[in-house]
Amino acid sequence: MMSKATKHLFFKEFSSYFKTPLGYVFLVIFLFGIGYLTFEPGRGSFFYMREASMASFFRYIPWMFLFLIPAVSMRLWSEERKSGTIELLLTMPVTVKEAVIAKFLASWAFLGVALAGTLPMIITVIYLGNPDLGVIVLGYIASFLMAGALLAVGGFFSALTKNQVISFILTVCTSFLLIMAGSPPILEFISAFSPRYFVDLFEALSVLNHFEAIERGVFSLSNLWFFGVMITCWLYGNIILVNENKAN
Amino acid sequence: MSKRNENYLKVILGLFSMAFMIYIGSTLFKRARIDFTEENLYTLSQGTKSILSKLDAPIKLKLYYSKTAANKGSEGLRTFNNHFLYVQELLRQYVGNSRNNLSLEVIDPRPDTPEEEDATAYGLRKFNLTETERYFFGLVAENESGTEKIIEFFDPNQKDKLEYDLTKLIYTVLNPQKKNIGILSSLDVISDEALSPYMAQIMKLQGRPINDSWMITKLLKELYNVKKIEKETDKISGIDALIIIHPKDFPEKTLFAVDQFVMNGGNLMVFVDPTAVVDRGEEGRRDVSSSPDSNFKKLMDKWGIELKEKAYAGDKYLSGIGNSLPNMPPTRMLPLLECDIRCTEMYSDNITAGVNKSLFVFPGVLSTKEVDGVTYTPLMATTKKGNSYTAMPFQLNNPQMLWSNFNEGTEPVVIAYKAIGKFKTAYPGGIKKEKKEKELKLIKESSKESAVIVFSDVDFINDQFAFKKTFLGQGVANDNSSIFLNGVEALTGDVDLMSVRSKGRINRSFDVINDIEFEAEKKTEDKVKEINASIKKVQSELNQLGSQANAGNIALLQNEGLKKKKELAKRIAVLKKELRAVKREGREKIESIGKMFQYINTLLVPALVVVFGVFYTRRRNHLVRGRRLKVEGKDKKNHKLMEVKA
Repeated sequence: MMSKATKHLFFKEFSSYFKTPLGYVFLVIFLFGIGYLTFEPGRGSFFYMREASMASFFRYIPWMFLFLIPAVSMRLWSEERKSGTIELLLTMPVTVKEAVIAKFLASWAFLGVALAGTLPMIITVIYLGNPDLGVIVLGYIASFLMAGALLAVGGFFSALTKNQVISFILTVCTSFLLIMAGSPPILEFISAFSPRYFVDLFEALSVLNHFEAIERGVFSLSNLWFFGVMITCWLYGNIILVNENKAN
Repeated sequence: MSKRNENYLKVILGLFSMAFMIYIGSTLFKRARIDFTEENLYTLSQGTKSILSKLDAPIKLKLYYSKTAANKGSEGLRTFNNHFLYVQELLRQYVGNSRNNLSLEVIDPRPDTPEEEDATAYGLRKFNLTETERYFFGLVAENESGTEKIIEFFDPNQKDKLEYDLTKLIYTVLNPQKKNIGILSSLDVISDEALSPYMAQIMKLQGRPINDSWMITKLLKELYNVKKIEKETDKISGIDALIIIHPKDFPEKTLFAVDQFVMNGGNLMVFVDPTAVVDRGEEGRRDVSSSPDSNFKKLMDKWGIELKEKAYAGDKYLSGIGNSLPNMPPTRMLPLLECDIRCTEMYSDNITAGVNKSLFVFPGVLSTKEVDGVTYTPLMATTKKGNSYTAMPFQLNNPQMLWSNFNEGTEPVVIAYKAIGKFKTAYPGGIKKEKKEKELKLIKESSKESAVIVFSDVDFINDQFAFKKTFLGQGVANDNSSIFLNGVEALTGDVDLMSVRSKGRINRSFDVINDIEFEAEKKTEDKVKEINASIKKVQSELNQLGSQANAGNIALLQNEGLKKKKELAKRIAVLKKELRAVKREGREKIESIGKMFQYINTLLVPALVVVFGVFYTRRRNHLVRGRRLKVEGKDKKNHKLMEVKA
């Protein structure tokens, strides 16, 4: 379980999102953006499809996260290092590991709040038809897990550099690569110069494939393992980098 | 190594081990999974598992999919990738449940390779994408003894039938011997010999009638030995189940043979119909073709199932849209009963389990009368709001008249029954035999249980309503053929394959919007009716004026006629305006619902977030200010005390 210090840090970090306009701006952009894309005028739009499912909603979640999660994660450590508060933070009775976990969990919880803000969408599909609620719940679980994985990536790059902009760009690039890893053009590109098992390995790293596998309605241990390993490993890197860079 | 380098090495190693762990995990834990979909799309049904458990020799599955070609192809072709993933996932489940008897090989046949040659040799369907690229998406199942069955192409539109197709493939590899089915019908549902397309073309050119089998019997032949029972027959034997379609005008000895077939424990499926639309008979004949006739009714009496005369089962909420006559616009029609899960979920019988979309045309109303030792199970019925309605033959082509004969009901109207038990003969005294005929042995009561399934529609298994033409040939249009095949399987005892049926057709359309459209359509129809009535009225008035015309009053009448025409034009203009308004009203209602939900989902929650933010910040500022004032107050007090002390 979380130590008292971690808990305290978690609540402090979590509430900090609501003390600055940044948190609100993020929530408003995310909720407006995902709502707009779901109902966007076009053939793939929710109302055009006339199907009581949230497929057209979940389709855009990875692309919304691609830009918004780096925006949340970029300030996790870069800001602390730039303003020097990292030293203050680490003089408190809290280890680097605890601090990294607390900050990560607080941001993850904040993203959870953002996802919870899309609740009217569930009410909409229930009102309009007869949706498969199991699949919807899994869609949310998949989104939340994906948010965790991308956030862990963001945390890592935030600890790597003092500059928030660089952290943002690096996270977007890596997230994009991880999302697209299983897509045909990238696989074809890799298969041109590398052996088959390397292509399979790259395909297994695809966030989008695992997200879609859960979102389709099947919860597999391999998908849970994927997100678990992703979060743990990137957080481990994050801890090492904070340890390394705390004095810089 | 410096501490810094050591840390960076740790990070790099960490990332590599992450990739490795994910790769290992994705292979190891693939099978540990829970299917959360309502239709259990990714879970094998009990029937499939049962068939897989009977496997005792290895079967090799080769899934051919031109992945590379698909990725290079158009956007439309890339959507096949999703279907491929589904097929692959399901096949993995098959392999996982086969106790290592099934093995799966996924092959991407590239141009000019032995794999491509094999795919062509197996007979898989080939699509030429470019001059070099060819596209395959099929499956081959082979056992050790060389039996080889294929699915030549996986059509994404038949996704819900996928498990059935795959299980059928394995079942046919497992059971190459077929069961025997007899078909007795007053219609030409089964031709004596299969016509080659070439012969059919020649016969067509010669103007000869083409007597081709119904698609449903062709489908049946894939799974069974199908035997045509002649209309005049003494004895029915050597078959595992009997199907009777549209029973009428059968001679007594045939009816007796049917009766005795049941007495011998034979299983039977009967299709009767108060109005068989497909039985057009000779050219120009316009009377209604109904079954059963009074002689067959005697048999049905003994089975305890009765078809109400000249009555039809209707349901406003299940009515389909169609054209009553070729030149008429499509309207909602009471005779078209589009059954979905609401028709079957109450009865949860294996024959109709998972059947979500079927179409019946003028289905009749079935009822039962209790026969000792027989149990009756309804298989399909209308919803509670359905009801029976009667119609005279001249009303059948007039949807409006049929609607006016219909009132919403309170109880479901049954259109299919299953009766299982020991029946009694309808011929306790036997039948009179003709000279030179052998004495027929009479069984008065069946010694073992038999099953009789009765459907109150014949049309639904006809090509016109059960199948559709696709660019890949004839494809199933709905679950009608599944119902038929389920029934046959139930009768021949293949319960395993029976429980594997279409899944994933639960209706998830916007019910609220459908209701609004339904109401708007009805209103539109009323308006159109009003307009037509006005035109008719003025027309008859004009005719009347015309008939009164003579040399003296022709000018006056012409004037009168013109006046009436003008009045009619005005009236029609007003009604058309109202018609437009009704249509617009329906459309606007739907659009406004769409807009409302769009606003709620795009603006409401962000607005609430902003309001919360403002409120929370103000409250915090207020608290902080309060605390600061308190602290300042304390400071001042302390300061004063210090001063006093000093």
